[in-house]
Amino acid sequence: MAVLEVENLKTYYYLGKESVKAVDGVSFKIEAKETLGLAGESGCGKTTTAYSIMRLLPENGQIVQGTIRLGNEEITALSEEEMRHIRWRKASIVFQYAMNAFNPVLRIGAQIVEVIREKEGVSKEEARATVSDLFDEVGLEPKRQRDYPHEFSGGMLQRAIIAQSLACDPMLVIADEPVTALDVIVQNKILDLLRKLQEKYELAVLFITHDLSVVAENCHNVGIMYAGNLVEVGSAEAVFKHNLHPYTSKLIGAFPSVVGEKTRLQFIPGAPPNLLNPPVGCRFHPRCPYAQDICKEKEPVYREINQGHYAKCHFAGELSFEVIE
Amino acid sequence: MTSVEPILEVRNLKKWFPVRSGLLSFMEEKRYVKAVDDVSFDVPRGGSIAIAGESGCGKTTLARTILRLIEPTSGSAYFEGVNIFDLTREELRLLRLKMQLIFQNPYEVLDPRLTIETLVGEGLTIHKIEENEAELRRRVLAALEDVRLMPAEDFARRYTHELSGGQLQRVAIARSLILEPNLIIADEPVSMLDASIRTEIMNLMEDLQEEHGLTYIFITHDLAQARYIGDYIVIMYLGRVLETGPMEEVIMDPLHPYTKALVSNIPIPDPTHKRDRIMLPGETPTPIDLPPGCRFKPRCQEFGPQCKAEEPELVEVKPGRFVACYF
Repeated sequence: MAVLEVENLKTYYYLGKESVKAVDGVSFKIEAKETLGLAGESGCGKTTTAYSIMRLLPENGQIVQGTIRLGNEEITALSEEEMRHIRWRKASIVFQYAMNAFNPVLRIGAQIVEVIREKEGVSKEEARATVSDLFDEVGLEPKRQRDYPHEFSGGMLQRAIIAQSLACDPMLVIADEPVTALDVIVQNKILDLLRKLQEKYELAVLFITHDLSVVAENCHNVGIMYAGNLVEVGSAEAVFKHNLHPYTSKLIGAFPSVVGEKTRLQFIPGAPPNLLNPPVGCRFHPRCPYAQDICKEKEPVYREINQGHYAKCHFAGELSFEVIE
Repeated sequence: MTSVEPILEVRNLKKWFPVRSGLLSFMEEKRYVKAVDDVSFDVPRGGSIAIAGESGCGKTTLARTILRLIEPTSGSAYFEGVNIFDLTREELRLLRLKMQLIFQNPYEVLDPRLTIETLVGEGLTIHKIEENEAELRRRVLAALEDVRLMPAEDFARRYTHELSGGQLQRVAIARSLILEPNLIIADEPVSMLDASIRTEIMNLMEDLQEEHGLTYIFITHDLAQARYIGDYIVIMYLGRVLETGPMEEVIMDPLHPYTKALVSNIPIPDPTHKRDRIMLPGETPTPIDLPPGCRFKPRCQEFGPQCKAEEPELVEVKPGRFVACYF
């Protein structure tokens, strides 16, 4: 059974009378030991999707439709008090800016101990012992629990955040741009660590990033988001090698690579739409080179094209893009 | 390094920042952060050179020192044969017209209360180059067209909040371009932008280089990006140049152990491509009180006894390829 199952999720932000349709009909699921990479450009709704699951939306954000099943529980209807039991214990989140995630005037260990005691109701000593084990697990010396956040480097803070996210033994970890602020060598060490821990604890991981290269190397499945819609989902190989949606194909073509022949990179003319008033029909049609009349009028249905490979495009499976080697 | 006459020659440039460690620090020996430590390279006219390295390697300090936004500790930088560090304030002002800087974040550079027309024309007005209003306007519109912001009249009237990130970065480029510079130093010009827009700016800069005969210095942390914007690369680590050479050669066949590790760690947008990564132990230390010898030695896997004794010089190991390593 899937650990996380999101069905037709719609999350809007209200600005006076108007609403920003930040996430508009997103469906996906993640199994245990599986990583789904959610990728897309800024403002495509990937972080809003994550925050909807954790119910960390700002005051004007609201889940207006859809269901989120975590394990065997439907969580969109839960009260704030009930959500407190879910956070950390069933699902935890690793934030992008590790340096902002910890309180700078408290020792790092103490902050993780606080989480464990709040959630599990154990004694301080037991919680400390757990933190020591976790630190060891993520490759930090247990004695560094007594350090303050400024004494840690960026990579070490990210390790500490990962330790914290595992503190209450969740089944789902949401990693929101976990390595974006780090240099490549440190980045890979953190990613290796995440993979190792995922295997060990049989975690389901929702990996959010704007960097398709990181997705390609670290995720089993990939979801591509554009303007609040999930436009394509499939195995990493299917999405990268046999993509169905024109946006996916263009986005991959825009990424530089250090291997293979150097070709002039592609770009997508125009900019993503304003989500206060998204285009009618397919949201990508104003920038899509393959757009036909139907794309301007009718919103495409998100459907399964090949086994486990979904796309939201009228012509999915019929278009042939240049093969990306 | 190349046969073309260089537009900029940087020689033994050093920028050390003193560290104050406490109340009695004046009694102790002075300590320094050696942000840029003995860096030399040439920039060929009409070329584009990428300075790459991880955060804290001194690449931005290097750029700022070359523009003399901060004073160097020692060394020299010859721009078209003139040492930048010997110039008076007035001479420097004129020189800066020829050397322009483009920053990472256009939102922070452009004043939100001014129209695009004022912003782009600002350089000409401030330096009193163009005082005829009609002519000023004509040049602003031409600059906007150069960066493909069309219709230019329409964009000229707007304010920054009406433009997207990519368009703002074009405005920033137009601002530099209008002064007809010879050299543009771009500090992470596309790092803030999304992939689909990033390429557009990179391609634009490449086109402008040909159209206006520009020379570029790109500062970047992303080697994959560097590959597409530079034809020459300088790899920095802790304030020092470890390797330089033609871009494709360095990326395809890195010689310094640090470059090898760096290249092997860059993610590739292809899930079926598998390769071996070189893992470096530890993290980049702070450039204070570095041990004698090669500064990469503590993390290096191929070192020998001489690495501990003396810092290796940058030497030519293959035609055009310079590496600071004994092996």
